Amino acid sequence: MTLSEWINRNKRDGRAKRLDYNYAFLDEVSKREIRRKILKAVAIPGYQVPFGSRELPVARGWGTGGIQITLSIVLPEDILKVIDQGCDGSVNAVNIKRFVNVVTGVRITTDTREATLIQTRHRIPEEPMTERQILVLQVPYPEALREVEPSEAVTRRMHAEADYSRMWLFLYEDIVKFDEITIGYRYPVTVNGRYIMDPSPIPRWDIPKLHMADTLYLFGAGREKRIYAVPPYTPVVPLEFEDYRFRVEDFKGRACERCGATDTYLDEIIDDVSGRRLWFCSDTGYCDKRCSR
Amino acid sequence: MKPLLEVRGLTKLFGEGCDHCLPGGVAADEGNRCSRCGTVVGCGGVSLEVYPGEVLGVVGESGSGKSTLVRLIHFEYDATAGEVYLNNGQDAPRQNLLEASSFRRRQVRSRAMGIVYQNPTLGLRMQVSSGGNIAEKLLAAGWRNVSEIRRRAADLLRRTEIPVERMDEPPVNFSGGMQQRVQIAKALSNNPQVLLLDEVTTGLDLSVQARVLDLIRSLQRELGIAMIVVSHDLGVIRLLCQRTLVMRHGRVVESGLTDQVFEDPQHGYTQLLVSSQL
Repeated sequence: MTLSEWINRNKRDGRAKRLDYNYAFLDEVSKREIRRKILKAVAIPGYQVPFGSRELPVARGWGTGGIQITLSIVLPEDILKVIDQGCDGSVNAVNIKRFVNVVTGVRITTDTREATLIQTRHRIPEEPMTERQILVLQVPYPEALREVEPSEAVTRRMHAEADYSRMWLFLYEDIVKFDEITIGYRYPVTVNGRYIMDPSPIPRWDIPKLHMADTLYLFGAGREKRIYAVPPYTPVVPLEFEDYRFRVEDFKGRACERCGATDTYLDEIIDDVSGRRLWFCSDTGYCDKRCSR
Repeated sequence: MKPLLEVRGLTKLFGEGCDHCLPGGVAADEGNRCSRCGTVVGCGGVSLEVYPGEVLGVVGESGSGKSTLVRLIHFEYDATAGEVYLNNGQDAPRQNLLEASSFRRRQVRSRAMGIVYQNPTLGLRMQVSSGGNIAEKLLAAGWRNVSEIRRRAADLLRRTEIPVERMDEPPVNFSGGMQQRVQIAKALSNNPQVLLLDEVTTGLDLSVQARVLDLIRSLQRELGIAMIVVSHDLGVIRLLCQRTLVMRHGRVVESGLTDQVFEDPQHGYTQLLVSSQL
């Protein structure tokens, strides 16, 4: 049986439903636990809250942290958008939104403005988001200090004591060796003046969007069993020195080949035929919207 | 004058302890291991004061608890009992630091203390640049300007006679004596009020020993830092320290002015120690 046959077999009243599963796939007790952990994460911005990561029909490490958060908070009236590296149409994004649609019947969109709940991997949408929206980020490695300390017991103690000199030393050594901070993505940030947090592998371009945002950001790491959050209007500051400032990627002189945008995060693509370097918006939903204007 | 550092009844037992050894630990003449439960007394009820600008010596044979004492004061071990106070003139209420949160202890350690170990691998990150090693301490104390950090690190390395051109080399490339001087530079970087020196010259050859000792003495005169110097070498203690504690089996058996202790030892063990000197 193909997936579409399976979905059609369970359609009632035009809405996809899978009756032998609970609403939103997870059982109510699991969802309640995850919601409780989300509340804790919101209460302590940037702190990694351990949670009991459930089995899902995809392997851990394939966005299960984000999926579990989405499934735990999704309401029947929500409008869902799922993106992977900015793209609405990639295999992961399509499969995740189809799955959530099957188990909940929520409406799907590619429009950032229309969506009430957005699950994403590695990007924050270009269009500003509002207080009425929630962004769920998939996180592969929730521990920002893992680069400098392999032991989980030690990193937890370091967070507890705000003992972050080794992370700063890592940046200092980078400057000594390369005369700049060479972290391209997963750029460590200080949340609410307290915890150093891994913002998930978003590009530096997206880091400023976390600062004093209107939107609630939830981070889920299914394999590593951690949930953390940046509540709305929380200061999020990238680690930087007074004389070596944080900066975002530089796309000066480049524009999207499709929509002509010069103020978006661009992906570099090499044309197989001509061998030319082309630049396109990484946020496909936004690019489509600009093209259809 | 008020002591800068006060230690009262500092005790560290390695093991459970039992009725036989517990109040106060095993009798000193019995050794430092309880014959019933096997508990080892690392440090048994040690009290001491260090006054501002003073250098206090701690001597004793190996295993007498000298290093344990220093590391307890540096909060590296959890003490079994005792009190540690640092009267550094800050407004914070007087608090037994052994009962303070680990967060507060870390703050005190990174702002007011420095330590130099016998083995440079304990005090330095061998693969990180020497400048970076010093920077780590400054970063912990809240410095956030790379050029200021580098200026300070270069200054300290110059003072400790490390060629500044080698600032970005890791200590693993350096000789033992140089590593020891990098450690001293690191320990001094945050302008500590108390510097703990744990057998700093042991294992260095004589000419290098002399230079390191010269360095410590001149830094002490110049900066007026209070120090606790641990050594089994009476020569080092005689050279650096005004007052001395003699330790055996984890306890202080004698204390007083350094000259007095060495010229007129009262305790049998101190007499043995002084007469064993070559």
